Amino acid sequence: MACSDRRGRGAALTLTLLLVAAGAWRAAAQDLRLPNAADSVKFAVIGDSGTGDPPQFDVANQMAKFHGVFRFDRVIMLGDNIYGGQSASDLDQKFAQPYKALLDAGVTFYASLGNHDSQNNRNYPPFHMGGERYYSYATKNVRFFALDTDSLDPAQVQWIQGALKSATEQWKICYFHHPLYSDGKTHGSDINLRTVLEPIFVANGVNVVFSGHDHIYERITPQKGIYYFVSGSAGQLRKGDLRRSAMTAAGYDADCSFMLVEIAGSDMSFEAVSRTGQVVDSGVIHAPPRRTSGGATGGMRR
Amino acid sequence: MSIRRHIPWFVLDSMLMLPLGCLVALTWANVEPLSYYRASHALAFWVNDVGLVFFFGVMTRNVVDETLPGGTLHPWRRAAVPAVAALGGILVPVALYVSFLSVVAEPMLMSAWVTTCAVDVAAGYLAGTLIFGRRHPATAFLVLLSIVSNAIGLTILAVLIPTSLLHVAVGLTALVAGIALAGWFGRRHAPSPWLYLAGPGVLCWAGLYLAGVHPALALVPVVPFMPHSRRDPGLFEEPTATAHNTLERFERFWAPPVQFILFLFGLVNGGVPLHGLEAGLWGLPIAVLIGRPIGVVLFASLAVRIGLHRTSHVGVRELIVIGLTAAMGFTMALFFAAAILGIGPLLQQMESGGLLTVTAGLVAWVAARSLKVGRFHAHRSPPPEGEVSS
Repeated sequence: MACSDRRGRGAALTLTLLLVAAGAWRAAAQDLRLPNAADSVKFAVIGDSGTGDPPQFDVANQMAKFHGVFRFDRVIMLGDNIYGGQSASDLDQKFAQPYKALLDAGVTFYASLGNHDSQNNRNYPPFHMGGERYYSYATKNVRFFALDTDSLDPAQVQWIQGALKSATEQWKICYFHHPLYSDGKTHGSDINLRTVLEPIFVANGVNVVFSGHDHIYERITPQKGIYYFVSGSAGQLRKGDLRRSAMTAAGYDADCSFMLVEIAGSDMSFEAVSRTGQVVDSGVIHAPPRRTSGGATGGMRR
Repeated sequence: MSIRRHIPWFVLDSMLMLPLGCLVALTWANVEPLSYYRASHALAFWVNDVGLVFFFGVMTRNVVDETLPGGTLHPWRRAAVPAVAALGGILVPVALYVSFLSVVAEPMLMSAWVTTCAVDVAAGYLAGTLIFGRRHPATAFLVLLSIVSNAIGLTILAVLIPTSLLHVAVGLTALVAGIALAGWFGRRHAPSPWLYLAGPGVLCWAGLYLAGVHPALALVPVVPFMPHSRRDPGLFEEPTATAHNTLERFERFWAPPVQFILFLFGLVNGGVPLHGLEAGLWGLPIAVLIGRPIGVVLFASLAVRIGLHRTSHVGVRELIVIGLTAAMGFTMALFFAAAILGIGPLLQQMESGGLLTVTAGLVAWVAARSLKVGRFHAHRSPPPEGEVSS
């Protein structure tokens, strides 16, 4: 009899725990503020992720939870994908293991290189870089351009000019490691790179730019018609590193974070999600129909 | 007695104009970065790829002079021990550089390892003269080591920069044509240096540019063909007003503009932000400050052990100071870094590291005092005037 009671209490406890866990999962998933349309382009953004430490796993788990309700098919990586050692076991511990759930679900990762990465990682198949330091790919009405801002040699500058110019997609999204605009105290804006890249982006109608390097989240007020995001805390955080300025539209430096993005027609919806699943910023960017070259990239509503 | 009687004007002016350019660049880049980077990007090609052609031309003239009777490179076998020491002075710093970057997790900077080969010949000569004296064999050893180290670095640089086979083929053809034309001019004793610049110089510049090798080296294969004197006038010696051979006329004309070019070179390449740089910037200074003296001592000792003649008045203590002095990469470090890396944070880290290597001069001075070498030797018996021992 006593044994049966204990069994009953154990079952009740297990059931309660399962319900609490499911509730927590559901609560996090319910924070989705994106349209989640059937035929939209959906992707996630992570920067400075590859530590192999618990915060990276926490963020990765949170991404997997959101993937349950928001079926993004790709993740763009903003560099510093692997910190420290760069061996096969490091790639496993700092990439394959944390994102196992997403990889198993068929999510594709597209990496750009940061200063802590090895150039050899461009040949790591799960990064889908095709052995290149910089490359481009498209899906529906969106074209992505991954750059290597560690060393912006003339060949790369020539390539991005040509690639942007010939792109016909409505959305042109560039991503790379070092931010052209950032209010991070540790690094801040890379003005050297900005003098080279910004005129090219403006002339060729780039809509949105994602960067990492500063271990914070920041959304910059549009600069010359382009929306800039810093999302460099998917693996480690510099708490309190955001030095808000007039160009800070929104920011978060209290915990690690990642971004979810959805593009449907002329609207790009986004949200920044903390390690605990809290949505810390969200909004919608509107792009005008694609013109042949250059031009402003529209407005934004929250 | 003025300092100019002891130190050649070219060295003094170089040591003034380049740091001045770097100082202006550092201030400008940290006060008004946007305008600085716009200006430096606009000037970069004209200064780094065109202006420096004449700097390397003038430097080559000094090296050519050293191959003449009385020069430190005459006869060639004298260069054997310093050349072997230069090799050690490269290998150990490269090993340290790679190890340091592994420790601080900055693998992207590994591609710039060739920068550890850079030795500022003029700065080294100045420091060597101040520490050892102008005629001390250690100064000649230092100059030889610097030249060989840079030559190895430039060769590696040519191999490292990738380019298409077609470009290499066309470039090499132009380069060979340029050298052949310079040889033909030389055999006919063509007197005007301008002929060498307009014909062979332009051909070599285009050839190197197409082949992916730094075009600033365009005059390096041309200058040796210019008719020159029969004896070494002394390293960095200013040509006399009465000098009339082609090589001296070339230097007399180009040396003053080269000082302005060096100022611009400092201005274009010396502007680095003083915050936000990664730990990788310490890679180069640490590698050369520790690695160069170790490599020089080890390999020079090895060279003597395998039968090469020991340079007189240059023992282990002198070799340590020579190695430290040769850790000053400065001009050449900035050049190597800009040649191997594109615009971006990595280049800025390497440039910062290159600027920091200047501190090696001070370390060498302190080491010389502590080790009591050169002018700090208690019972100094300087080698006879004009002697360069091997």
